[in-house]
Order: sequence, then C-alpha cells, then structure tokens
Amino acid sequence: MSSSRKVVELFYDVVSPYSWLAFEVLCRYRNVWNIDLKFKPAYLGGVMHESGNRPPGMVPNKFHYMTTDLKRLSDYFGVHLSPPSNVFEAMFEKGTLNAMRFVTAVAEKEKGGDMLVERVSRELWKRIWSTDQDITQPASLTEAGLKAGLSANEVEAILTLSKSQPIKDKLKSVTQEALEHKCFGFPFIVCYVNGKPEVFFGSDRFELMAHCIGEKWVGPQPANPRAKM
Amino acid sequence: MSNSRKGVKLFYDVISPYSWLAFEVLCRYRNVWNIDLTLKPAYLTGVIYGSGNQPAGANPSKLMYMVSDLKLTSEYFGVPMFRPSSISEKDSLNAMRFVTAIAEKGKDGDTLERVSRELWKRKWRTQQDITQPASLTDAGLKAGLSANEVEEILTLSKSQPIKDKLKSVTEEALEYRVSVYLYPLSFPLKCLCGKNIIKHPYTIFFPFLQCFGFPFIVCNVNGKAKVFFGSDRFELMAYFFGEKWVGPQPDKPTVQM
Repeated sequence: MSSSRKVVELFYDVVSPYSWLAFEVLCRYRNVWNIDLKFKPAYLGGVMHESGNRPPGMVPNKFHYMTTDLKRLSDYFGVHLSPPSNVFEAMFEKGTLNAMRFVTAVAEKEKGGDMLVERVSRELWKRIWSTDQDITQPASLTEAGLKAGLSANEVEAILTLSKSQPIKDKLKSVTQEALEHKCFGFPFIVCYVNGKPEVFFGSDRFELMAHCIGEKWVGPQPANPRAKM
Repeated sequence: MSNSRKGVKLFYDVISPYSWLAFEVLCRYRNVWNIDLTLKPAYLTGVIYGSGNQPAGANPSKLMYMVSDLKLTSEYFGVPMFRPSSISEKDSLNAMRFVTAIAEKGKDGDTLERVSRELWKRKWRTQQDITQPASLTDAGLKAGLSANEVEEILTLSKSQPIKDKLKSVTEEALEYRVSVYLYPLSFPLKCLCGKNIIKHPYTIFFPFLQCFGFPFIVCNVNGKAKVFFGSDRFELMAYFFGEKWVGPQPDKPTVQM
C-alpha cells in the first residue's frame, strides 16, 4: 500500500440516486483505502446543460431500466433507495438548486473536516430518494439540517448564507470544475494517481478505480462481506 | 456455488466495444458459473434509434470519457483495444448480417463465437474494415471456415431471410418482455426528437423492459428473466446467480468478495 493518500474528489448532486450509491461506497472505503476523500457538491442541471447531454430518464427505455437497476442496486449496496412517487416532478420540475446551495453553504461554513457536509447530504438524499419528501422549501432544508445535527441557529445562518451571491458563485464554480474535467453527468469521481487525474463516471467503476489506485475492491459493503452462497 | 444451469442471452453488435468486453467475460465464466450462453447477434443502430436513444459518441464529453474509460477497462479486462480512427453507424450492418448467416446455418457453437471475435479484433484492435466482402472473408477464414463455406455465408448474408432475421433479433431486444414489472410512472410524453407533446405528467403502466443499447444481457434465474445493460453489472449478476465474481479474468482473480 502506498504511504501517501490519494486524493479522490466526488462531484455529486442529491438529485442523482447513483450519486448516493457512490457517496455511501466512498464513505465506507475512506478508512479502508488510503484515500483523501473530498466532497464536491455541484449542480447536475448545470452540467447537463453545459455538456449538451440530456438526463437518461428522458429516454423511456432507459427510465424503465434505471428503475429496476436502482431497485437491485439498493438491495446489493445496502442503501435504502426508493423513487419518489412523482419522479419527473421531483427531479426536473422542482430540482435541487436550493438544496445544493444549502450543502455548499454547509461546506463553506464547516472548518476542519466534512462530517456535516456528509450528514446534510445524506439527509437530503434520504428525503428525496427514500422518504419522498420535498427538498426545495426552507422548512425542508431546515429539517434536514436539524436531523444532521445542526442547531436551529446554525441552520438559520446557513439558510441565509445559501441565498448569498458568494454561495451561488461557489456552487457555480464547483460545477465548472467538473465541466473542466469534461463531466457530462454525476456521480463523477476524479482520482489523482501520481499527480495525474483519472476520471470515473457512475457508481459502477469502483472495481476499476481500485485497480488504478492500487487498492482492493471487496464489494459495496466492505464491513459486511456477502455470505458466500 | 449453485449447480443449476443458468440461461444467459447476449444481444450484441461488433461495432460495440463494451459488447466485446461482456462477450469475453461471459465466455470465460461459461464453465465457472455453469452458464448456457446464447449469442444474439443484433444491430445496435436499430436499437438506438428504435428506442429514441442517441449514440453515446454523439456527445463530445461522453465520447472523450469513453475513450479513456475503454483504455483503462480494456486493459483491466485483458482485452486489448485501440480506438479506430473512424466509426460510422452503418459500419456493422454487413458484418452483423454475416454473423447472423453463420448463426442461421447452425454451425457448431464455437464458429459463431470465433467469427464474432475476429470481427471485433478487426474493428477494435487492428483497426481494419468490416464492411467489405473481402474483410468478412478474411474474418471468416481466420475463424476457421473454409473458402467455400465463407463464400456460401457471404451469399446467404445478402438474402432477404437473413436481413429479416437480423431485424427480428434486433426487435426482440427492443421489445424484450420481462415478467410482471408493473409499476405506475409519472412520465411526460415526448416525441422521438425530444420535444414535449403533453406538458403535464400522467400515469402509465409498463409491463416490460426495452433495450436502448448494447451489450444487453438477459439472464434466466429460477425461471425469472433479469436484464442487465453494459459490461459493468457482472458483480450484480453474480449476486443474483448465487455465484462469485472474482474480476473479469476468473483465472487471475482481482476481486475478493
């Protein structure tokens, strides 16, 4: 095992269920692999627009496949994914701009670590992709923040901050950073191997990524290896 | 390890590099997982347009990603590949008709596998043509067919029944019906060019899954069909089969579950 930690950046948006899978895997592996995990909350809508891509769910056959795929992966990854009752409304009509500005504000305010960013991101994913709840309204973001361990005062400060120009600019700039790596969708993982960035798209490149960074992949739940059949 | 034989159908087109990866993995795992592998040569362009999808290479960022992804993945899978200088959507029509003709002639199972592999090698390793009769002949001979057999297959490949057969296997992928996955969806109706026809979402029920790209793998597990897209779902497939995934080269394990 190499002695220097490899930097691994995860660009994500809570609108993306596959990002949640990638997020949980990387959180589980951050103490298993010799990596320095950096969360990069960004805006998928911006990435789609600028890269000229379109959301996979817009192709009916892909949408159907993804629904089944996510159900199976949810079971295999041990992440309780459950699509919202109105997927189109949650993902495309309501969107996640406010939510990602909120996460960005948490990241800006948090010094010395990313525990709060991790918790807040998870609570937002749970709302949209598990319990079918709103993540656009201040009351929704407040609830997620409180569940993540922020105090009422802290949440209020972050809500205010999230509407400020510097935070809007910060979200834009992290999104731009992803685009500079030629990103077209999330989750988008950048690993620095010998100073050179290697990019991986999706939650299904961990085995390959492990091979590239000289680590071992033992499945999505390293602490709970599957019983051998 | 489960002892029962598992039915696996692989819908593929030799224009698709990820199909080659899936093909090699399934061939390698055939005896490891006790698989009854059925090769289903089909036409990718037909599936992409029939499903309202777009070729992945049509988006510049996706194309750039695919180039680097294939470089890493093909190396990891032990299937050396080099991107051809030009790829066109119609590149594989003659080739897949040729492969279909071989399948129809009912040659021993190995021949279909060998010819498919030779065509992949031509397009994706040595960067040679696969559209001309001379190219298909070369591939056929390399796969062990005699000159007479190759000529016969070439003739057959241009016949209406073979054109129809390729079309029907392609439609089989597009309309693949999987048992009861009934679920309500809210989905805006869009025409194939992507414009919204009806603005407001409505609820529709879909009883089947349809293909949108290759490789498209249909597994029969205890009488139930499960579909997998891509060359990156083998770990999940193993989980449903009750088998072990040890990486893309079972004789050189890289993964320990």
